[in-house]
Order: sequence, then C-alpha cells, then structure tokens
Amino acid sequence: MKLKTLSPLILLHFSSLFSVSGEQTPWLDKDYLEERTRQLTPTRTAAPSQWRVIWTKQPSTRATISWTTGKKGNEHRVSYGVRSPAGPKLTESIEPQRNGAYSSAKGEYFHHARLSGLSPSTTYDFQIESDGNKSPLMHFTTAPADDRPFRLLFGGDSRTGIDARGQVNLLMADLSEKDDQLIGFAHGGDYIISGRSWSQWSTWLSQHELTVAKSGKVLPLIPTRGNHDGGPLYDEIFDTPGGKDKNYFFTRISPKVALVTLNTEISAAGEQRSWLAQTLADLRPQVRWLLAEYHRPAWPAVKTPGAAKKFWVPLFEQYNMDLVVESDGHVIKRTVPIRNEKKDSTGIVYVGEGGLGVPQRSPKTDRWYLQKPGMAGADHHVMRITFAKESMDYEVVLLDHSEADSMTFLPR
Amino acid sequence: MQQNLIWFLRILIVIQSLGYAAKLAAPSALNSHLLGSMGGSFVSGLDHAVWLFLLFASVALLMLGFLRPAVSSVLGKVDFTLLGLLALWPFTLAVFSWLNNLGDAFHATDPIGHAVRFAAPLALVILSFNPNKLWQTRVDWLLRLSVAGAFIGHGLCAWWIKPSFIDLIVGTLDTFLGQDLAASASRQTFAEVSLPLIAVQDFILVALLLLPNRKIRTVAMWMALWGFVTAMSRMTAYGWSNWHDLALRICNGGIPLFLWYSWKQPKTDLTHS
Repeated sequence: MKLKTLSPLILLHFSSLFSVSGEQTPWLDKDYLEERTRQLTPTRTAAPSQWRVIWTKQPSTRATISWTTGKKGNEHRVSYGVRSPAGPKLTESIEPQRNGAYSSAKGEYFHHARLSGLSPSTTYDFQIESDGNKSPLMHFTTAPADDRPFRLLFGGDSRTGIDARGQVNLLMADLSEKDDQLIGFAHGGDYIISGRSWSQWSTWLSQHELTVAKSGKVLPLIPTRGNHDGGPLYDEIFDTPGGKDKNYFFTRISPKVALVTLNTEISAAGEQRSWLAQTLADLRPQVRWLLAEYHRPAWPAVKTPGAAKKFWVPLFEQYNMDLVVESDGHVIKRTVPIRNEKKDSTGIVYVGEGGLGVPQRSPKTDRWYLQKPGMAGADHHVMRITFAKESMDYEVVLLDHSEADSMTFLPR
Repeated sequence: MQQNLIWFLRILIVIQSLGYAAKLAAPSALNSHLLGSMGGSFVSGLDHAVWLFLLFASVALLMLGFLRPAVSSVLGKVDFTLLGLLALWPFTLAVFSWLNNLGDAFHATDPIGHAVRFAAPLALVILSFNPNKLWQTRVDWLLRLSVAGAFIGHGLCAWWIKPSFIDLIVGTLDTFLGQDLAASASRQTFAEVSLPLIAVQDFILVALLLLPNRKIRTVAMWMALWGFVTAMSRMTAYGWSNWHDLALRICNGGIPLFLWYSWKQPKTDLTHS
C-alpha cells in the first residue's frame, strides 16, 4: 500500500473556513431541522414507520426491509420491483418472515421482510404496507456483482446529541441524493445510550427516516453492535445480523470489496478470533479492498486500547487489511500506517472514531500513531469511501459539506 | 507491628491512586457523564486536574506516612482530606460507570464490585482518627464487607460470563501455553465452563468471610491470593503495559491480606505515636 495524498494534521473546528451556503446545508438551520423532525412518520399507528433496509452477507442479491407498526396488525407486505423510467412497477410482493413485539416497547412491533434473488447493481422501488396503510414509495440499489466503482458511508456514535444526529442524517440524505454511486451506509455502533431502552431506540429509528433522500432513495445499513447497544432490541431492530449472540459477519459488497464486521461486546479472543482468522484467509486472495469495522478501537484517539489490539490486530497485519474503521472515541482520527506497533509504510491505517451526532471529545494528539501523516480532530462527521480499481479514496465530510480529511489508498 | 499494618494500608492506597492516575489516559466515567452538558474541553480539563491530584496525593500520602503528623495538626487534616478524596474518586467512578450504562448488568455491579477501592482509604482515615478497639472492630467489618462486595460483584460477572473475563482467561492461556488460533474456540469454551465455577467459589468465600464471631485466616489468605491472581490477569492477558489495571485493583488482594495479617495480631492501640 502506498500513501498517495496526505492531509494536514488538524483542521477541525475550522470548518467554517470551508463552509458553503446555507441553501446547500439547510440542516444547519435549527428551524429547518425542527420542521423536518416534525414531519417524521408517527409510530403509534397501524401504518408502517421507522423503515430501514439492512445488508449483511450478500447485498448484491439480498436485502432485508424492516419497519415498525404501532399495532400487531394482520397483513404486512413489501411490494417491490425493478425501477423503470416509465414509473414504478411493483411486480413482486413478499410478506415479512419475522414479526414480533419489540422488547419493553408499548405495543410497537417489528417486521422483517428478507428479499432474495435480487439482481446486482439494480435499483428497486419498494413500498411497505401494513393493514392497508402504505409507506411512501422508496428505492434502494443492490450492490454490484462486477468490478464497477461505488461508494459507502461509514460512521458511528449517534447515541446523544439528538439534534446533531438529525443534522448528520440530513447530510447523509443529501450526499446520497446527489450520488448514484453511493449505495450503502455502515454504522459503527452506539446508536443510543441504553440499548435496553425502547424509547431511545424508537427516537433513533424515527430519525433514521431523515437519511432517506427526497427522491425516496434509502441507503441500506450494515450494522455493528456498540457498547451501549446491549440487550435484545438490537437484534429485533436489525434482524439479528450475523446470528444470535454473535453479531459478527462479513459483507461481500462486490467481487473485489469485502467488509468484515466484528463485535467488540463479546469475547474477542475466542471463537470470534478463530472465525476472523479463517475469514481473512479466505477473503484476502479474492478481494482488492479488504476492510474491517468494529466499535471499540485498537488504536484509540481518546481512550485506551480495547481487546481488539491484542487479539485482532496481528491478524489484520498478517492479512494486510486495506483499512480498519473504529468508533467509540467521539473524535475524528486517522492513524499512520501501523505494523508491529510501529509506523510502517506497509502497515494498516485505522480511521474513525464516531461523529454521527454524539458530543465530541478532545483527541489526544500526542499519541505517536496520530502524528503526521496521521491526523486527529473533533467534529460531527461522516466518512465516505470510494472503491475503484485504481484506488480507494477516503474522505471525512463535515456537516457543512467541507472535507476534514482525505487519503487515497492504492491496491497492495 | 501495628504500624506495619497501617503502612501496608497506606501503600495499597498509594499504588491504587497511581493506577487510577494512569487509567486517566482514557476518559473517566465522570468525564463521559458530563461530556454532553459540559463539553469536551471541560471534561478533558477535569480529568487532567484529577490526574494531577492523584499524582500529588500519592506522593503526599507517602510523605505524611513518614511524618506521622498529629491528627489535629494542619498536616493531619491534609492527610484526612487526601484520604477522603481518594475514597471519593473510586466511589464516584463506580457510580457513574453504573449510571452511564443503565440496564447493563455488568456495570450495575461496579458500586459493590469496587467497594474495596473506596473502603481502603476510609479505613485508614478511621484508624488514624479513632484508633481505639471499638473502631478497629468497625474497620475490620468495613473491610470484610468491602471484600465481600468485591467478590460478589466479580462473582456475579463471572456467573453471567462477562465477555472480558473470557478474554482474560484466553489471553492468559495464550501467554502461558502459546497462541493457537485453532484452539481459541476451545479455550473460550474452557473459560465459559470455568467462570460459573469461579463464581461459586467467590460466593462461598464471601459466606465464610462474613461468618459472625469467626475469623478464618485461611479464607482471608485464599481471597488475597485469588484477588491478586485475578488482578494480575490483566497483565498476563494483555502485557506489562497494562500495569495500571493491576495497580488500581491492588486492594482486591491487598485488603484480604490485610485482614489475614491483622487477624493474627493482638488488638492494640493504633495511635501514631
């Protein structure tokens, strides 16, 4: 791996220098945010609300469409079909395979419709219907089965700072609307403060509606469990990604791109490590871009290292990961390439560390792995990564659309 | 000899304080609790101020131990204040660790699981200011209850198979038997079988420790050894760089050892002079 371009050490909190007009960033206006929040679909009715599309293992042919109803209801279904210039043709229909009451909720129910047999790189219109009540018409695009370029958003820590969370969501919707190549969003965990609180989850889920673009484009979500996401609701909301008591899996986003999602809230050293070793051994020869994401950082910009450093980092280095995405610290960071606990041009770069609305901390900029060409700072942000044949481009986008950091990676 | 016990307690508190100071390389639970309302700069400054205080207090406690000031003197009051604050910090962290993670059963055990950490400075305050036999008995029970809290808290986490405890066992096995990725899953299974047994051991030891009118020195020594072994596992699993995780848990083994030693001592006046 070679570092092609490098950004300056710290430019955070200076984002106003780069700000663009308010017309392009209306979410920075409090009144606009309040108005959009008021328009969110109410949850305590028989109608569908809190819709999301979930990706786990095979996003080129599969997706789970999930939603909430305020009553158990009798008939639930998703109608969908390939998007056509002539207008929506919802030729297919599926009933949710999994329905149930959210734990500790007050009568709200979850529904998960697992779509399969989809065509790669294809945009699908879909509409959710519960007891005759229909959602707006929305659409998402499946992952490619060829080597075409595409983009994903990454980010973590949306647990507090409700207004800022709404702002970042609106930013993501805006980025998504303008960019057909942007097809998904990987959340690094800590969605809310208490994973057992339905009211907190419900607020998060309703606000997730703000990530839907005005055209109805939905970014499928690849979930990661964080330390504040304990309890059964996580699995009820995201359809038990990776399996019960595991929540780790890999997503083959394209033939040449794989994202390994790990769970720092269970044992890092045991079964998960064995699985990781086997998974990386299998994936590395097949993909050009191999990434991992998990919540508690191995190379933190604020806290002390989690178990990932001891048990996973040696595997990341053995299999030459192209990028590792971390959360939890509430800062922006990009490490120098690290191998054997030293800066090494062949090493692994770790980025993060959580800015989807959570109040930001002051990073410990004196840590050796955050020195130039690494960086650290603090601001609400989302990371955007472009995967292409020639390069993988990483950038950090702030609320005002300005770029806080960027880096281009070349294939190893 | 009794002064040796007082010194032992003081050194335990100094080591614990240094451990807490080193731990402030990461944000404290108080920092996390106040972050949203006070902002990143304030909470970072707060942690830094506490870090400076802990270092200062560690040095000052050692010096005051040598000086042995009269209780009513200015230095005696400084000693009292430092010990009070060194009890308050672990208590504050334990409470906020719980509050920051409401609904998390593991964090909910922190206020009792960390009891020995704030009981130790309190015990030294009491022994310094009320050295008569009645208060020695009360201190003995304060420390017994705090050790019981530590073992119940950790025992519950073991019973519920806390994931980080699995990693401590697997990491320690890696250190002593060699890393073997093929064996990681079986080592996890071993840990998952062992932890409930460890929990049962912890609960039995607590029951024996709290027997009225009985002071079983073997139980105190067993708890001391187990307390040190489990505190040490932070280093055997993760390496010497995690020395602070042993240091701030030094009382887990140190206070049972204090009890073991004090239970063979005839009760005498513990005054400074």
